[in-house]
Amino acid sequence: MTTTSTKQVPRLDEMTRSELIQYLKDTVKPEEGLIPSYIFSHPKVYELEMEKIFLKDWLFVAHKSEIPNIGDFVTREMGGQSVIVTHGADGEIHVLLNVCTHRGMKLCRMDNGNQKNFTCPYHGFNFKNTGDLIGIPFQKVVYGETMDKSKMGLKEIRHDVYADLIFATLNSEAVSLEDFLGDIKWYLDLAFNRAEMEVVGLPQKWNVDGTWKLGSDNTISDSYHTLVSHGSIAKLGLVPTGDYSKYGYQIYTGNGHGLNLGMPNPDGFAFPESLIDEYKERLNEDQYDILKQMKNMIVCVSPNIMILISSMDLKGQKISHTSLRIWKPTGPDSMEISSWMLVEKNATEEWKRLSEQAFTLTFGASGIFEQDDTENFTDITQNSKSPYHLQENIVFNYTMGMHQKPVEDFVGPGIVYKDKFNEANSRAFFRNWLDQITAE
Amino acid sequence: MHENIILQHEIEQWLYKESELLDQLNFDGWYELLSEEISYTMPLRINQMEKSKPDYSEATLLFDDDSTTLKLRIDRMKTDMAWAELPPSRTRRNVSNVKIKEVSENEVAVHSNLLLYRSRSTDTTADLISGERKDVLRKENGDWKLVSRWFLADQTSLGTRNLAIFV
Ligand code: FES
Ligand SMILES: [Fe+2]
Repeated sequence: MTTTSTKQVPRLDEMTRSELIQYLKDTVKPEEGLIPSYIFSHPKVYELEMEKIFLKDWLFVAHKSEIPNIGDFVTREMGGQSVIVTHGADGEIHVLLNVCTHRGMKLCRMDNGNQKNFTCPYHGFNFKNTGDLIGIPFQKVVYGETMDKSKMGLKEIRHDVYADLIFATLNSEAVSLEDFLGDIKWYLDLAFNRAEMEVVGLPQKWNVDGTWKLGSDNTISDSYHTLVSHGSIAKLGLVPTGDYSKYGYQIYTGNGHGLNLGMPNPDGFAFPESLIDEYKERLNEDQYDILKQMKNMIVCVSPNIMILISSMDLKGQKISHTSLRIWKPTGPDSMEISSWMLVEKNATEEWKRLSEQAFTLTFGASGIFEQDDTENFTDITQNSKSPYHLQENIVFNYTMGMHQKPVEDFVGPGIVYKDKFNEANSRAFFRNWLDQITAE
Repeated sequence: MHENIILQHEIEQWLYKESELLDQLNFDGWYELLSEEISYTMPLRINQMEKSKPDYSEATLLFDDDSTTLKLRIDRMKTDMAWAELPPSRTRRNVSNVKIKEVSENEVAVHSNLLLYRSRSTDTTADLISGERKDVLRKENGDWKLVSRWFLADQTSLGTRNLAIFV
């Protein structure tokens, strides 16, 4: 005897595009706090994300301090595409498609360097660091007069800069970076405009069998997990025990961007005292007031940037560190984390050194906070791959804080909730995500 | 010559012993092999354009530890909330190509290769961390202690979910 189930597993791979979009709209219900499991790993959902989010949004590619001199470059990936970010001979920043215009070879295969020109390893077409094609081996012989080099430059990707962060988009019709960022800029100022900031070294990279979305979801709303996921840190006495991570604000500024702001800081000012004048000069009064009270701040800029300011006691000294990372999708169920550490350029060498050490110890690839997060991302993603989750429409609960009302008396912009134990920001993040992937 | 062979043997045995302690999760035992002055660092491997420059960056460190922070890492592992290693990864540290580079009165500089196999949780694929170690060992009260470890991985983007293990 065989048992037959009347339940069918929805075959997302056999649906038409509009059926799939309808299925997503029917099953993902952010306002009700209901997020189905399958979205965390289904290849069909990933396809939509790549096309409708990563080909459309502004994505972070580099910090200006990484390419301070003419000729400096770094290679980065955005939307599955390699790009070269250069400080060109014309003094301008260029974001160039890392694809030779002759027959498609990847032009530059280095992580960083300083180059006037890039020579293609395949047939030797030679491009300036501004993207212009300037040399073709045996041009006269092989093309006669038929080749117009001025039409064969590297494709320039649309880009713009805010707070020294270089963003680029593969979408020529995208709204301006200003409009895309909107009110999150007020908080980006706290992270990257409070002082002149510089990247330390190069980004660390490591790979996790978890979806990029869980990184952003955790960043935008999840202070609640700190108690348990990072419980070991409290046990060591590095952070207070109990509900310390509750205090502060959860803020949503639109377009999938939001943050958790931990304040006040019981340990006092978390930044170098010697830079107070610089902070005051660069921030407005309200922003400086927040900086004074800040214990930590974790910002999600959709789709996949996390910005973190975190403070702690290390070796009897209070210290803070600032970092930026991207959760770079590498497949429906995997991502690469790239993480940049930044520091105030004008801080003392001693302060910089301790800040770097604090970052590495807590949030680098070996970080004692970091380590436990990747367990959650991996296991949630891997669980979600089971067809059983589709068959039963297994849905996760994101209803925390639905009984809360936003407050009106906070100085910064956005929809602001007092206390950070809330999933309001995740609900807003998934609403934005759903609208994007189901857009016609 | 005879002395060199004995020293080589002693250092190799020390490295094997160290691997065994780590593979067996005996972190307290491992900590005892470290000098109080230990510097424990892991620079970042990069694809570097200029051949004249090293293909790694010491401005970015994946481990940047001393005896205080290593102790913290070990104490963390002992809490029942160090999820990254619960259950612990199975690891095999294969140390080879042990070359003694310098010998002074009570110190040796030794280079070796590390091939670290990591099997995590129920994963059917294993993580491999391969790289080069540069160590300094010092005789302290008759025992060799690790004064400095410098580990450079071969991957620029690590094929493992975190560095919750020692290298
Ligand atoms: S593909 Fe680059 S020169 Fe031919
Ligand atoms: Fe976390």
